[in-house]
Amino acid sequence: MRRGLRDVLFVVLPVVIIAAVAPLLYANELLLFSFVMYLTLAQGLNAIYGFTGYLPFGYVGVFGAGAYGFAISVMILGLPPFAALAIGAAAGVMLGLLLTPLLRLSGAYFAIANLAAAQAVYQVVSNPALQDITKGPYGVSLSEVFAPRLSYEVGVAVLAATLLAMAWLRNSRFGLSLQAIREDPISAAMAGVAVVRGRTIAWLLSALIAGLTGAVFAWHISVFYPETAFDIGISIFATVFTLFGGAATLIGPLLGVLVLYGVYNTIGITVPQYFQLIYGALIVGLVLFLPDGLVSLLTRRGIRVP
Amino acid sequence: MLLHAALSGLVFGFYFTLVGLGLNLVFGVMRIVNLAHGDFLMLGAYSAFWLFGLYHLHPLLSAACVLVVFTLVGLPLYYLVVPRLLAARDSEMLSLILFFGLQQMIEAVTSIAFGTTERSIPGRVLGSGPVRLLGQALPTSWVFSAGVSLAAVALVYVYLYQTRLGMLTRAVMVSREEAVATGIDLHRVCAIAFGLGLGLAGIAGVFAPFMLGSVTPAIGPEINIAAFAVIVVGTLGNPLGTVLGGIVYGVSLMLMQTYLSSWANLLPNLLLIAVLLVRPTGLLGRRVRRA
Amino acid sequence: MSRKAMLCLIAALACGPAAHAQQAAPAEIKIGHVHAASGAYASISMPVYDGLKLWIDQQNAGGGAMVKPFGKKIPLKLISYDDQSNPGTAATLINQLITQDKVDILVADSGSVLTAVAVPIAREHKMLLFNPTGTGAPFFTKDNPYIALLADPASTIWPKYLAGFLTTDGVKDGLKRLAILYATNDFTTTQANALRGFVKQSGAAIDIVYDQGVPTNTSNYGVLINNIAAAKPDAVVELGYVGNDIAFLRNLQDAGQKFKFLFALYPGVETDEVLKNVGAQAMDHVFTYVTSQAIEYKPNVGMTLDQFREAFEKSYKGQGVEFGFNAIAGYHSGLMIGQALADTDSLQQLDLRRALFAQSGKVTTLDGTFELDDTGAQIGEITPLGQIIADPKGAVRNVVVFPHELAAGKPLYE
Repeated sequence: MRRGLRDVLFVVLPVVIIAAVAPLLYANELLLFSFVMYLTLAQGLNAIYGFTGYLPFGYVGVFGAGAYGFAISVMILGLPPFAALAIGAAAGVMLGLLLTPLLRLSGAYFAIANLAAAQAVYQVVSNPALQDITKGPYGVSLSEVFAPRLSYEVGVAVLAATLLAMAWLRNSRFGLSLQAIREDPISAAMAGVAVVRGRTIAWLLSALIAGLTGAVFAWHISVFYPETAFDIGISIFATVFTLFGGAATLIGPLLGVLVLYGVYNTIGITVPQYFQLIYGALIVGLVLFLPDGLVSLLTRRGIRVP
Repeated sequence: MLLHAALSGLVFGFYFTLVGLGLNLVFGVMRIVNLAHGDFLMLGAYSAFWLFGLYHLHPLLSAACVLVVFTLVGLPLYYLVVPRLLAARDSEMLSLILFFGLQQMIEAVTSIAFGTTERSIPGRVLGSGPVRLLGQALPTSWVFSAGVSLAAVALVYVYLYQTRLGMLTRAVMVSREEAVATGIDLHRVCAIAFGLGLGLAGIAGVFAPFMLGSVTPAIGPEINIAAFAVIVVGTLGNPLGTVLGGIVYGVSLMLMQTYLSSWANLLPNLLLIAVLLVRPTGLLGRRVRRA
Repeated sequence: MSRKAMLCLIAALACGPAAHAQQAAPAEIKIGHVHAASGAYASISMPVYDGLKLWIDQQNAGGGAMVKPFGKKIPLKLISYDDQSNPGTAATLINQLITQDKVDILVADSGSVLTAVAVPIAREHKMLLFNPTGTGAPFFTKDNPYIALLADPASTIWPKYLAGFLTTDGVKDGLKRLAILYATNDFTTTQANALRGFVKQSGAAIDIVYDQGVPTNTSNYGVLINNIAAAKPDAVVELGYVGNDIAFLRNLQDAGQKFKFLFALYPGVETDEVLKNVGAQAMDHVFTYVTSQAIEYKPNVGMTLDQFREAFEKSYKGQGVEFGFNAIAGYHSGLMIGQALADTDSLQQLDLRRALFAQSGKVTTLDGTFELDDTGAQIGEITPLGQIIADPKGAVRNVVVFPHELAAGKPLYE
């Protein structure tokens, strides 16, 4: 447990403090919010991918469910933002629960089925037949609860809670048992690890994080279309950042987001005409030369990273 | 109406068999997911558009050119990226990211070179007016594209089951480790399958302007989603199962368009999930999954 | 930041005592914009970007744009980022333009999805959002003064003349059975609803015999066309994005199917792009909207249609960006920015707004008459009903057939 404390003191706390004070130092708050959002999502993805090896390629489906859970609560039920956040999170978990049977699949099958599920949720939400509930293709406007500052702070709080959960996962028996499942499910089961239960818990935790993040996103951005909340780019970014930093660690996804999303924004602002080309090339290069992520530079030398 | 929808679905499905075929071949042999598959298809469409604009080349000739050129391009591309990828710990998942990067590069280069406007080739090139099949009128260009697709499937069948290289390829599909142990040159087999996968995507692209109306550099990801549905419903890793996947996809899509049109695109996704849950290895799957 | 500070310092030193007598003119007016160079929205975004850029280049060639509070021409600087059709990226880049680049004028991307995310950000930072073509209804509310729709009529206005024709002349000419097929996105669903509403409201003896939405990524209409034909309509209205309309018209031709009256949206919006993809024969006699690219307005500001078309095609030849309504929308947005700068009391956003809204009803450009309602939605520009007439050489014209006071020809039925 000492290790856990050290991780909280030296990793979680500094990240949260920096995220909390950043708006005082840098005015593009939306960019900071995007960073916070991807920091959280990358950790959420880490909970399922890093610890169990299941890659939810349609992670954005749960995120979008959270966003729409929030939006519907505000628009239809007239709930205040904090209650709406809870509903958004619940929507994420519900969808996660609905998708638990997919955990019976493995490898690329799970990734693709998960992507199909995200698409299906998007198609249901954006269908004009559900206009009275979701506003269908017309997009939602939550201007009455718009509060960029407060929603940013809530975003940081969600990030803090996520990091704490991950620090626990990284250092607990439960986290260890999950990694054992990832390496070799059959041996783990024979050693008495509850394989199915472990995976399900990790997936639901991951869904909770995505749903909550989606809800905060909806609150912060306030006017959006289904295309925005279910943008497959969100899944891809979270995945790329996690893998680039190094899955199954606490610090890997953090580094991944800070470096790669930082580079992404720098390229976008400095060389917009070749934005996509450079970013694509960068990703190809990273996978080829650093397949186990940035943290492998340390772990290869036998250094333990948080 | 029902007969027309079913028949159109069948023709449409044959074409989508071709769309998924290359992706499935690559997955079957290398266990990697080529997320840039749709973009190679898009490049095939632009090649055909370009060849038609400059030399008035018939799409059938373009398809032959594209098959050869794309296959040849695939070989060095394979050696450049795939062996490194296969050596990684979780190559199946990493391939998603790697080919996403490649997909971004292809889309960017095509946008810069050709612009983002819609492109197509006139439909009359493949014959004008409808063809009558079982009393139903179907566009000539569809029937033509479906015919080419079936020819491509036949080609893959002959390659896999009638040639020595095909036999080795099937051996790699069954078990990579055992194939290597028996002295098969793994990378040679894989490189050819990879090239062929790109070539098949390219041919599908040549006929995309006729089946999809028009193309832009951005169609890749959309194509991938359809291709996923086709090959998963068929059988992931079994190129010939793709035919069944294509037919199921095409017919069900057209039936949905007829009876519940605004939900039409939901169906392929639900179908994919349902098939995976009931038969995790696809409709024709025989292998037992692990754990 | 440091360069800007230095420029200020140098300017202050150079001008000396004169500087505080009159407010110092900035060295340049910064126009911030985001565009999509790739992805799903690139084909509607790039022409707007290029049209806007053309206007800025022209102004700068003449020494800049007249800015009233400083009484002189000031060069314009365009800062435009690529959002890759990604709404999240668009949002952070819009915020970048406001908070880091500190632009004087903020122009949204084209289309509703990418514009939406900019609306609350602009409002929060009290920046007027110059919105070229984002027609989404939730953007325009009485309590938000920080938005103005420049070039595109609100979606509910689009089908006004189409409905007007169907419910009067159309019924008389025997168009009694109507089929509506639309793509289920904001832009075309709103129009389908408005059309349905107009038809029902009029009480005309029209039966809607087919009324279906299809997903916007539908690329194959063969079966749908067969199903529509089975409902035996006299008039078919198809509303989609450019890719939908191209696929629809091609499939219609491939199937050899004809309808007495056929309306499609994009032949009149991006005429050249549709023509290149479906050919003149497939467009012949198709009814469509008449946008500014087919009407010779007499502009009191900026170039005429022919002049602009020539300049656009000269500047962007071979870059794969087709001339069409969106190109005009971009150029027209530039013109309206110019009008606002020439009439504003200061570079304060609310002054710019007053200046821009003061143009309402007074300015006519190649895009028609500019008129805003009090929420900032565009109501001046109209879309009469036209019919495409192809000549044997493969060129097409879009002839206005309704309303009567604008009509240049009579409708021809198949």
